[in-house]
Amino acid sequence: MAVLETKGATMRFGGLTAVDSLSLRVDNREIVAVIGPNGAGKTTAFNMITGVYRPTEGEIFFSDTCISRKRPDQIARLGVARTFQNIRLFRSMTVMENVMVANHLHMRSGLFGASLRSPLARREEAQMAERSIEMLETTGLVEYKDWKATSLPYGLQRHLEIARAMTTNPKLLLLDEPAAGMNPKESAELAEFIHQIREKFGMTILLIEHHMKLVMNISDRIYVLQYGKTIANGTPDEIRANPAVIKAYLGEED
Amino acid sequence: MMQNKQILHPPKKMSRRDIILTCAAVFILIVILANAENWFGSYVVRILNTCCIYAIATLAMNLVNGCTGVFTLGNPGFMCVGAYTCALLYLQPAVKDTLYYVEPIVPWLRDIHTNYFIALICGGIMAALAAVLIGVPVLRLKGDYLSIATLGFSEIARIIMLNAQSVTNGAIGLTQIPNVVNIWVAFGALAVVFIFLRLLMNSSYGRAFLAIREDEIAAEAMGIHLFKHKMLSFVLSAFIAGISGGLLASLIGAIDANQFKYTFVYQFLLMMVLGGQGSMSGSVIGAFIVTSALEWLRFMDEPINLGFIQYPGFAGMRMVLFSVLLILIVLFWGKGIMGDKEFSWERLITGLKRLGKRRSQEKEEVS
Repeated sequence: MAVLETKGATMRFGGLTAVDSLSLRVDNREIVAVIGPNGAGKTTAFNMITGVYRPTEGEIFFSDTCISRKRPDQIARLGVARTFQNIRLFRSMTVMENVMVANHLHMRSGLFGASLRSPLARREEAQMAERSIEMLETTGLVEYKDWKATSLPYGLQRHLEIARAMTTNPKLLLLDEPAAGMNPKESAELAEFIHQIREKFGMTILLIEHHMKLVMNISDRIYVLQYGKTIANGTPDEIRANPAVIKAYLGEED
Repeated sequence: MMQNKQILHPPKKMSRRDIILTCAAVFILIVILANAENWFGSYVVRILNTCCIYAIATLAMNLVNGCTGVFTLGNPGFMCVGAYTCALLYLQPAVKDTLYYVEPIVPWLRDIHTNYFIALICGGIMAALAAVLIGVPVLRLKGDYLSIATLGFSEIARIIMLNAQSVTNGAIGLTQIPNVVNIWVAFGALAVVFIFLRLLMNSSYGRAFLAIREDEIAAEAMGIHLFKHKMLSFVLSAFIAGISGGLLASLIGAIDANQFKYTFVYQFLLMMVLGGQGSMSGSVIGAFIVTSALEWLRFMDEPINLGFIQYPGFAGMRMVLFSVLLILIVLFWGKGIMGDKEFSWERLITGLKRLGKRRSQEKEEVS
C-alpha cells in the first residue's frame, strides 16, 4: 500500500516551474531517496508534501487522504514528520524541551486545564515526559537532555531534529539533506541511525540527499529530479547505470 | 529500569531551602504591605499600586510579544476597553446621571450596576472579545505589518471611546469612580496574574508558544496550529490588559480616552525590554523600576537651581530621558535584566556568592 503518492504535483512560482508534474510513490516501510542537482526542486517537493506550499496543480495523497490543500500542522497531525535542510531547532530550549514540544499535538487538555494542572493535564504531562525520555534514550541523546539544543555538536543536532520529528509519532518521516555538512564518520553514523529508526519503529522514510554513498547505501528506491522534472526512478543499481542520470550529474561527453 | 528513569527525569519539586526562602519572602512582603501606609506614607503606597497595575499590563504584553514572538502594540487599546467597561459597570446610576451632562447616557447602560470584581472581569472579557475580533484578520499578518495593524486598533479603540458620546461620555471622560484598589487588591491581582502566567509557561502550551517564537516553520511542522496558538496568547494577553485597565480606572478615579494614546505602549515596551523579553519576573521588575523612576524623575520637569547653573525645567523632560534610556538599553543591554530566564533562589544565591567573592578578592588586593 502506498503511504505517500503524489499525482502530477506541480509547483510554479510566477514563470518558474520549480516542480513539474511529480509523480512519486512511497510504499510502507520503504526508504526512498530523492536526488538531483542543486535547484532541481527537491526541497520544493518536500514543502508541497508537508503543506508549506500548496501545489499549483496535481494532488498529494497520504494513506488515501488528500493532503494537498491542508495546513502543515494538519498534515503533521495525520502522521507526516520532517526535518529541515538548515537545522531548525528551537534554539533557546533544551534538548528535552525540543522533544517535549513535539508531543503537544497529542495534547487533549485545554489551555486553562494545562495551566491550572487538571488531573488530565498532569497525566498527559507525565506521559509526554516519559515518551520524550524514551525517544531520547533510543536516539542516544538522553545524556544531553538538559543541554541547550544549540550547544550540541552539529551531528547530534541533526540527530535531535530527527528525534523531535519522530516524537510526533509519524507514519512517514521526511528527511531533508540529513547528512549535509557532515564528515564521513558522522554520515556513516547517520546511515546507521536511519536504519535503526526504520527497524525499531517500522518507519517509512523519504529523504533528500546529496551524499551519494549514503543514498546508494540505505535507499530501496531512488527518484532523480532535474529542473523540476523526474528524469529517472528505480533501485540504486538501476539509477547508477541510467545514462540520463549520469548525464545530469556529469554532463555529456563530447 | 524504573529507578534509572527517575534519576533521568526527577519530578520538578522545589528544594527545602527554596520553600523556606519563598515562605520567608512572602511573609516579609505581607508584613511590609500591612505596614506600608504607616512606614512610607500614602504617596509611596499609591506609586506601589501603580507599579502593580503597570506590571500586570507589562506581563500581558510580555506573554504575546516576549513569549510567543508576536510583536503587537495594541496594549493601550485593550486597557482602554477594559477601563471603560469596568468603570461603566461599577459607577452608580445616580453618579452616571450627573456625569453625562452633555448627552444623556443610553438607558440600558445607565441601570447596569455590578460590584467591582464582576465589573473588572467583564472589562477583561470585553478586551478579550475585541482581541478575537481584530485577531482574526490581523494575526495572519507577519512582523511589522502585524505591529502596525495592532497599533491601528489601539487608536481606533481610543477614537471610538472619544466619540461615542452617549456611551462613554466622550471627551469629558468618566470621573468619580470609587477607588477600591488598595495595596492588597493591587498586589493580590499581580500575584494571581503572575502565578497563572508562570504555570502557563511551564505547561505544554507555554512550550508551544516558545516554539512559535523560536521558529514558526518548525513549530508548524511539529503539528502546532499557529493561528490557534497565537490567538490564544493574544486573547489571554488582551484579557489581562483589560483587567489592568479596570484596576487603573479605579485607582485613578477618572478616565478619559486620551490617557490611552498609542504612545502609552512605549512605556510598557520599555518595561518589558528592560526586564528581559520572555521573562515574567523580568517584566515585573522592569515595571517596578520604570514606574518608580518615572515618579522620582519628576524633578526633571521642574526648574532646578544648582547655584552656578539655572535649569529652567521642561515639561516632559523625563520622557526624553526615558527615550534615551530605551535606546541605550537596546544598544548595549538587549537582553535586559533577566534575559529570558526566570527568577530563582539558586541564581540569586550563586550571584550573591560571586559578588561576595569578588569583594573579598578586591580587599585582598588592596591589602
